[in-house]
Amino acid sequence: MRPLGKAASDDDRPLIERVRKGDQDAVRALYERYFDRIYNYVYARLGRAEDAEDLAIDTMTRSLTRLDLFQDQGVAFSSWVYRIAHNATIDHYRRQGKVSLVSLEHAPALESADPSELAIEQLSNQDLHTAIRELTDEQQQVLILRFFQDLTAAQVASIMGKTVGAVQALQHRALGSLERALQGRAVN
Amino acid sequence: MTPEVERLERLAERLRAVDPYMPPPGAKIRGWNLVLAAVEQSTRARSRVHPVRRLVLATVAAAVLLVVGAVAASADSLPDSVFYPLKGVLENARGALTFGASDQLAYHLELASTRLSEAQAMFARHRVDLADQALSALDDQLNDAALIIQAEKETDPAVGAAMENRLRQAISTHDAQLAGLQGQVTNPTAVSAIMQARERAAQALQTAAKPANGKGNASASPSGSGQGNGAANSPHPTPKH
Repeated sequence: MRPLGKAASDDDRPLIERVRKGDQDAVRALYERYFDRIYNYVYARLGRAEDAEDLAIDTMTRSLTRLDLFQDQGVAFSSWVYRIAHNATIDHYRRQGKVSLVSLEHAPALESADPSELAIEQLSNQDLHTAIRELTDEQQQVLILRFFQDLTAAQVASIMGKTVGAVQALQHRALGSLERALQGRAVN
Repeated sequence: MTPEVERLERLAERLRAVDPYMPPPGAKIRGWNLVLAAVEQSTRARSRVHPVRRLVLATVAAAVLLVVGAVAASADSLPDSVFYPLKGVLENARGALTFGASDQLAYHLELASTRLSEAQAMFARHRVDLADQALSALDDQLNDAALIIQAEKETDPAVGAAMENRLRQAISTHDAQLAGLQGQVTNPTAVSAIMQARERAAQALQTAAKPANGKGNASASPSGSGQGNGAANSPHPTPKH
């Protein structure tokens, strides 16, 4: 797996202060730090390069021009940026008229498919991405942030406004749902 | 570890191994140009707002300075000053926030001294009319003080007597100052005003010496009322200006 660059962290504060003072180098540094990650996040959610590009740029523009709205009170800048990206994704879904997805977490496993027979190693990246996009919004979010973005449960909890325990439980359910979605694809 | 947890762990590991989608270089450059333009536009917009904010802040600061300055100027203003009405407002506000007979007495005695100083200043400026008004206000304060003492005597005679003594000392001091002033002025109207003020001060002292039900020293007030002027009918009247 190629690294996505510097992991999102709390050491953005000095750069944010410089941006507030009009320092363009600091703007560039934050842009470089987050653009790839946000692009990756949005692409994983939408599956279309053009849309991902537009939403990533939109997210970075909003983040860096509306720093006056960012109050550094317990929430890291990285969490704030991911929240903007998430909201932009939801807005995009609404504009496209996409209906909300049905949760698979309570869907029964297909009788014809034995979970133990699911050849995980043989799954393509495309299979995984497509199956993830069949999950609920929160399940997609937690899997993408935890495994594609390589964030800790605490960081994901901050982004999603949940406790670490709730994120871990959500992650467990999301993986179960993903497994069932993959089984369904295998049967079809 | 249960078989289910094992399967999910393997799935999680598989997800971690997925290569991330990376933006094409052109997208990143295009994004940076757009972000930079938006940031510059936002900075310009903020700097356009600054003069307006500065103007508002300057106006607010000027207003605050004006009010503070007027209040400060009024504190020592004299009856012929434009700030003098504000002084009365502030004194009334202070009076409304003064509680307890002893504090109220101190408040009225302080204002009586202030009125006497104002009268002296107005005589010095040959403003006999304003000096007369100040002396009249001085008497009002003394009468108010006398009524407070009267009421206090009913509640606590010992405390009332001590307060009466304070009034007596204050009036004695005022009378000495008024006597000195009387010797300095030549204007008959001014002399008359000072004499009346001294007489009314003595009446106030007699009012304070009487019990509140009026059964005490009835000969104290030559006018027979012994209750001061109209403004003094309230147990805590506001000062007159």
